[in-house]
Amino acid sequence: MAKWGMVIDLETCTGCQACTTACAMENSRLPGENWQDVLFYSEGDYPHLNVSWLPRPCMQCENPSCVSVCPTKATFVDEGTGVVLVDWNKCIGCKYCMVACPYGVRFYMDEAPVVEPDVKAAFPGEGRRQVWNPPFRMPDEYADPSKGIGVQPKGVVSKCTFCHHKITQAPEGVADLDEDDPETREFTPACVRVCAPKARFFGDLDNPESNVNRLIADRGGVRLKEETGNRPKVYYLSGGGSPVVPGQRSKRRS
Amino acid sequence: MASITDFSGGHSGRETQWMLHFLISLTIVVVAGGYAVWQIMTLGHAAFNTTNAGIFWGLPIVLYDYFLLTSTGLVMVAAIYHVLGVEAFRPVAKRCLGLALAGLMGGVAVLFLELSNPLMALWATPLNLQTQSPLFWKILLVGAYTVLLAIVLFNSIKQPTVRPNPLVWPLALLALAITLVAGSVYGMMAMRPMWFGGEIPVVFLIESLVGALAFTMFFSHLAHGFRHNRMSDELRWLFEGPLARLFGALIVLHFLLHAGRAVTGWWSNAEGLQVWDHMLSGPLFYIGLGVCTLVPLVLMLLPATRSNGLAQVTSGLLVMIGLFIARYEFIIGGQQVPLFKGSWVQTQLIEYTPSMTEWALLGLGIGIANMVYGFAAWKLGGEDEA
Repeated sequence: MAKWGMVIDLETCTGCQACTTACAMENSRLPGENWQDVLFYSEGDYPHLNVSWLPRPCMQCENPSCVSVCPTKATFVDEGTGVVLVDWNKCIGCKYCMVACPYGVRFYMDEAPVVEPDVKAAFPGEGRRQVWNPPFRMPDEYADPSKGIGVQPKGVVSKCTFCHHKITQAPEGVADLDEDDPETREFTPACVRVCAPKARFFGDLDNPESNVNRLIADRGGVRLKEETGNRPKVYYLSGGGSPVVPGQRSKRRS
Repeated sequence: MASITDFSGGHSGRETQWMLHFLISLTIVVVAGGYAVWQIMTLGHAAFNTTNAGIFWGLPIVLYDYFLLTSTGLVMVAAIYHVLGVEAFRPVAKRCLGLALAGLMGGVAVLFLELSNPLMALWATPLNLQTQSPLFWKILLVGAYTVLLAIVLFNSIKQPTVRPNPLVWPLALLALAITLVAGSVYGMMAMRPMWFGGEIPVVFLIESLVGALAFTMFFSHLAHGFRHNRMSDELRWLFEGPLARLFGALIVLHFLLHAGRAVTGWWSNAEGLQVWDHMLSGPLFYIGLGVCTLVPLVLMLLPATRSNGLAQVTSGLLVMIGLFIARYEFIIGGQQVPLFKGSWVQTQLIEYTPSMTEWALLGLGIGIANMVYGFAAWKLGGEDEA
């Protein structure tokens, strides 16, 4: 079984947010509540200013704190893929996983909209739990509430699934899912597939022949917040140093 | 007002007082609860000022933890008589247990309105056995605690005189476990330095006990129409002697633990602890730690005020408010650093102010707790005669 992981090259990423948009379209996300986001930082004062950015998907941790804290095991690690998923049929909406995630990648459905206007109101859903019905919703055959895939219902938490509905259709034993390979293009996560500067790579971390492993080894891939012990499966390439993530205390309001 | 009703008429006067207590509480429940439920039914969680921007646990969770820890503390105070056999605490043992159940009901009611699927928690938690989660243990323990507390109180209704109840042994152990686990819910969060630390369960335990004594002091006076001289000699002696000294000692511990964490947090440059800078720059912290902690401490230290009914009531009330402020600042403060939340959280610290619906839930919680307490005292003999 594959242990899927992602490599993001910060030297190549332009911060265009095509990944964010593609993810939102693929996974029916609300504006502002992005499973895949790009965080922008600015330090210093003009003209001595440094602007940097960090693409932030779910880290799909090997030892995820969100899974440990969930009192009902609604959040779990999928054995076949190593992806952290949410079973919407078991989520009680306690939001402890959101509190416990060091990377801020989880979202609850029923809050005031983060970004105005409220598109939920423009595309109202049907039934008690279906809050909205986006025109770009994924085909129903892909939706699986037991894995947190589809339009997020009311009162549950959602997160990035590494496009579980796509990667699980990939040929057995494949080392990488690459949009440039016609055989794997359709199974490549949306954020990886649309990355114009090709800053994202997706593959099997357990396969020594995979491109993601080669990149991590050759270019010194690092993970965010190693001190938490969560062991993310998303690696960043930053030219040999650690990823440029200034702390809140060194950030300026932009 | 119920509390000033003259019950010099004896039994019927007391009945009138508790009936009024119940009816006023019921009115609060109907008004505050009605508004909150209406808002939640129409707007969902958008009625709260919690958002996906980072403040996930708002005032309702503060309220739940506040009521829950008060409840467990009250059981532990009752256990001083029932378990440790300290006869001096007998006059308040029954009252503490009644208040414990009342507070628990208020807290759980608020929690149920905050959770999206509370009923699912009742079966999904025990059946899925996520033993690594502090919340798993908390839900199981609170369930067992509620049942056992109800049984103990039911037994006490049938007995006119207070006698040591062996069931309070397991009940007190459950209360202790819940308090420590409630602290672990926050203390285990290594990704949130404001919360993280092994001392948090101990902080919760101290706050639980000091809060329980404050509630005992306040509600004992309320039960006597806030007239110190109407209390029995043994109750007055308890409040002027052992309970006051224990109360004072626990206030000192609470102050030291709170102030110590504030000073180290304020001094540290560690990412995540800047929340202390923010808290120390506002008035709430000083009201909570200064006015609501140091003033009661002084009142309990001085012999003249320690034996004064008004000073005792004031101390109890101030500590109750101070602990609420402390719990609010702790729970909200721990979430104010965004943690990679998103490109749209362009702030160093996330601001949060409770919505009207959330404030209404405060009224609902207080109302339900007092309604249960008043009804038990009025109809079920759930009050100490002392």
